[in-house]
Amino acid sequence: MSSKPFFVNRYQKLGWTYKQVNPKQAIRINTTNASRADVVNRLQSLGIALEKIPFLEDGYWICKSKFSVGATAEYLLGLYSIQEAAAQIPATLFTELEDKTVLDACASPGGKTVQLADIMNNGGVIVALELKKRKMFALANQLERSRVTNAAVYQMDAREASKLSMKFDCVLLDVPCSGNYVTDKGWFSKRSLKDVERNAGRQRQILAEAVKVTKDDGELVYATCSLEPEENELNVDWAIANLSVEVETINCHGENGLTNVFGRELDRSIEKCRRIWPGQTQGFFVCKLRRQA
Amino acid sequence: MTMKEIKDFVAQFNASIALDESRIVRNRNRYYLLSKKVKNQVPESFFYAGSYLGAVKGASFFPSFLLLSMIAETKANKLVVDKKTAWLFICGRDIFKKGILKGNRLKKGDYTLILNERNECLGFGKTTCNLHGEADANKVVVKNILDIGDFLRREKRQPKRQKRSRRLQSSSNKPRKPTRK
Repeated sequence: MSSKPFFVNRYQKLGWTYKQVNPKQAIRINTTNASRADVVNRLQSLGIALEKIPFLEDGYWICKSKFSVGATAEYLLGLYSIQEAAAQIPATLFTELEDKTVLDACASPGGKTVQLADIMNNGGVIVALELKKRKMFALANQLERSRVTNAAVYQMDAREASKLSMKFDCVLLDVPCSGNYVTDKGWFSKRSLKDVERNAGRQRQILAEAVKVTKDDGELVYATCSLEPEENELNVDWAIANLSVEVETINCHGENGLTNVFGRELDRSIEKCRRIWPGQTQGFFVCKLRRQA
Repeated sequence: MTMKEIKDFVAQFNASIALDESRIVRNRNRYYLLSKKVKNQVPESFFYAGSYLGAVKGASFFPSFLLLSMIAETKANKLVVDKKTAWLFICGRDIFKKGILKGNRLKKGDYTLILNERNECLGFGKTTCNLHGEADANKVVVKNILDIGDFLRREKRQPKRQKRSRRLQSSSNKPRKPTRK
């Protein structure tokens, strides 16, 4: 089961009408390396028009630029990162990060790893995992460029994180997902429900392993850029039933998570999750889980 | 031996930096400076960790930009260049005398850090003549060896890492065209 009408019909059943959107490119200022005002002034003096993203502290949309914002001296000096607006949300949801031991389970290309380091002011420890060697070079470059000094990167499948013999206070699970049509123009022709279900299965394995390496009372933030409930609400519902975690209330951009998916009633606490339908940003789903002691 | 390559490299800039040797880890040919917390908590089988300092390839040491920034914080050979020269340097170009705003005391063959007007380190190069006095304003006086534009070039040449090593080893690399007009 694939094709555009199939998925569009599913979104309609979930309460959202499909629309083609084109979100603006976004950046996030690395406040460890420079002040917000300084970076904004420097970019404006280059002729780049910025707009503050209302739901993010350090995020700005690029409204106008005659050249790539990935080719400025300020970017190369690590003063800001190019990071989609919705993707800037997950790292901000942890209660307290400074001096904590944090796992970024699926880290590449490293935007969120850098953001975590920025929030932690380069204190504590971040362990970043990435499975593919090719992506690890890009991740390392990103860390060097952004002057991150508190991270350690391992080539490892997130489903084997317990091999590190470490326990973490906080775990960021920006899991590999099916993506969405906003960031991938050929999405509808490439994806099928079978893909979605396969990805959902892999995400459950990652979730289960992540809970194992989380300290009692530790926090996990689970995020995908998929619109499909199998990878989002249904996975969280499965985690509540099988992994001794509970959903925490978060205060961020987005709508409540769905508690009824195609007629199936889910745990009521799933409404504390946040579902972001495409619009100002790409499609996104995020929730915060706490491991019960 | 751990610190020798780093110390020798730093000394080329008439500088010295204090690094806690007990927190420096050599992983394959790469050096990393780890915070106490990172060193105590993470297994040593990492791919990348802490502050990357640089890599040894053959007899040469290839510094990271973090190390260059550390050196820039000390009393070292430095040249502050104007805005246009800074951008051209990032694009891989050499430096003309007329673009230098501060630091004309270097001799031919000295290694020097290149800073922008905000004292941010953009990379380093080697002087081609004595900077005080005789040099013509329109003459190249510093050959670009490494600049932060390398972050972009690395992405493009990922499968051709060998080629990068060869370019960096040679200080007579040709100027490259800017990527931004």
